Amino acid sequence: MADIKRLEDVCLRNRRRIVDMVHAANVGHIGGSLSVIDVLTAIYETEVDLSASPRARVVLSKGHVTPALYAELTEKGVIDESEYPTFRQIDSRLQGHPYEPDIPEVDATTGLLGQGFSLAVGMALAKRSMGDDHYVYAICGDGEAQEGQIWEALMCAAHYGIDRLVFVVDSNGLSSHGPVNESINLEPLADKLRAFGMHVIEIDGHDMSQIVAALDEAKGVSGKPSAIISHTVKGKGVSFMENNPAWHSKGVSDEQYEIALRDLGVKGGE
Amino acid sequence: MDTSYELISLRTLVGDVLNEAFESHPNIFVIDSDLAGSTTSDKFQEKHPEHFIETGIAEQNAMSIATGIAKEGGIPFYVNFAIFATGTVWTQLRQACYPNANVKILATHPGMDGGFDGATHHANEDIALTRAIPNLQVLVPANPDELRAAVLYAADHEGPVYIRCSRDVVPNLPMAQPYEVGSAVVDADTGSDFAIVYEGTAGDLARKSFAACEERGRHGVLLNVRSVKPLDAELIRSIAGRVECMVTIENHSVIGGLGGAVAEAVCELLSHAPLHRVGVEDVFTESGPSDRVKEKYGLNVENVLAKLGF
Repeated sequence: MADIKRLEDVCLRNRRRIVDMVHAANVGHIGGSLSVIDVLTAIYETEVDLSASPRARVVLSKGHVTPALYAELTEKGVIDESEYPTFRQIDSRLQGHPYEPDIPEVDATTGLLGQGFSLAVGMALAKRSMGDDHYVYAICGDGEAQEGQIWEALMCAAHYGIDRLVFVVDSNGLSSHGPVNESINLEPLADKLRAFGMHVIEIDGHDMSQIVAALDEAKGVSGKPSAIISHTVKGKGVSFMENNPAWHSKGVSDEQYEIALRDLGVKGGE
Repeated sequence: MDTSYELISLRTLVGDVLNEAFESHPNIFVIDSDLAGSTTSDKFQEKHPEHFIETGIAEQNAMSIATGIAKEGGIPFYVNFAIFATGTVWTQLRQACYPNANVKILATHPGMDGGFDGATHHANEDIALTRAIPNLQVLVPANPDELRAAVLYAADHEGPVYIRCSRDVVPNLPMAQPYEVGSAVVDADTGSDFAIVYEGTAGDLARKSFAACEERGRHGVLLNVRSVKPLDAELIRSIAGRVECMVTIENHSVIGGLGGAVAEAVCELLSHAPLHRVGVEDVFTESGPSDRVKEKYGLNVENVLAKLGF
């Protein structure tokens, strides 16, 4: 069983890194990074051995939350915090969206929403054909589930009964312009995913015990893919960002940075 | 020029060629979106069902699945009609090309080859859509040997490749010289009055046009480009520097395709032969037998002769 306290500590460090990065670069999708970071961290910390080959894969389909990915890759020793000021800037390997050639530990080049789960289906089909039993995780946004290709891929995953495939929805309820369900209603998402042939697990995406339990449950499913609907709060952990769609993508001022650090329990920017 | 050759539709060979390639590349996967019968990839499905992935009528999913397979070390060939394999999946294809993913597109029914289906299915923009994407090579085989060589090349090459495969007929002639991507083939060189540059699926018209020019006492060069990207710009420039006039012939729009690529290759020369383009003149086409549709929309010998001023 995973060490919940250790994972929570890593998540807190990663939250601080996300805020550092977006402050240092003064640009980035901070709200969704803070909502997805717990489940993303848990997947990498419990399921992915970057030194192994073949290995489990993580497709960050909501590719705009690179601050979350780069924070966890910092935890893994792939990226150094000194690189953060270069995030989204010229001549940096910290591209705005994940790009494999610059950072080989990145499993998928994403950013155009809706495509990542199909990439994961392809990886999982190839792995099954090659006798590689590692899991493939795709992390999508709830707003992203408005893309039709997601549903093509869900039909396909269920049709082929790919059980080493986990579709994670970071369900923070907000997309760029406002509440997801006010632009186009997704609900009842869990019922839809069940109807599409998924084993559906719903969790509080900020409760590490529930996240770890869900990842374990998914690994016990056979004959069908799993979907984890991870209910989260956009901007989680920073008081003035929580549930505020304005923080979908926005730089962080020095003053806001100080408040954010205090919210995350870091005194005086240490 | 002898035009009494047999004709063949290259798409009839697709399944067999993929099966041949599988012998030396057992990590090939073929992805289909409900058109395996029309593209003949069902012949691959019969022999290698475990390496054949049917996505149903879900092309974008198929293209991204191919990219995922490539990540795991497979060699995916997405086989579909050109309109779907370029237009429908364009951002998925572009997203695959960005990290140089090892994906292969084998597209049948290019240009007006889907005759009866009409303008909806006529892929008169597929060369334009593919050659604009960095990293993606665009191969235009003109005969069975070149199709076979193009597929084997694509399987060996690390990076994305688009292969344009005729559904309509092309001359069933042997490959003139060893296959090399980026190297055009001079089918004939009898003088410097003109040059005809063509892409593979327009091979029959190109040869008949060349013969018609000769019948009118004009002598020139017939060039099969074999790949639009990379283009054999060096050879094309040298020809453009010595002939009186040039024409490109393509089963495609005159915008952004072979004619566009050749124009880009010669435009920086201090002087070059005037370049004319034969293809679809920026209009939507219509239903009909593909030979009749092509004839009506500019792909005919008279139009080639008129462009050359003969």
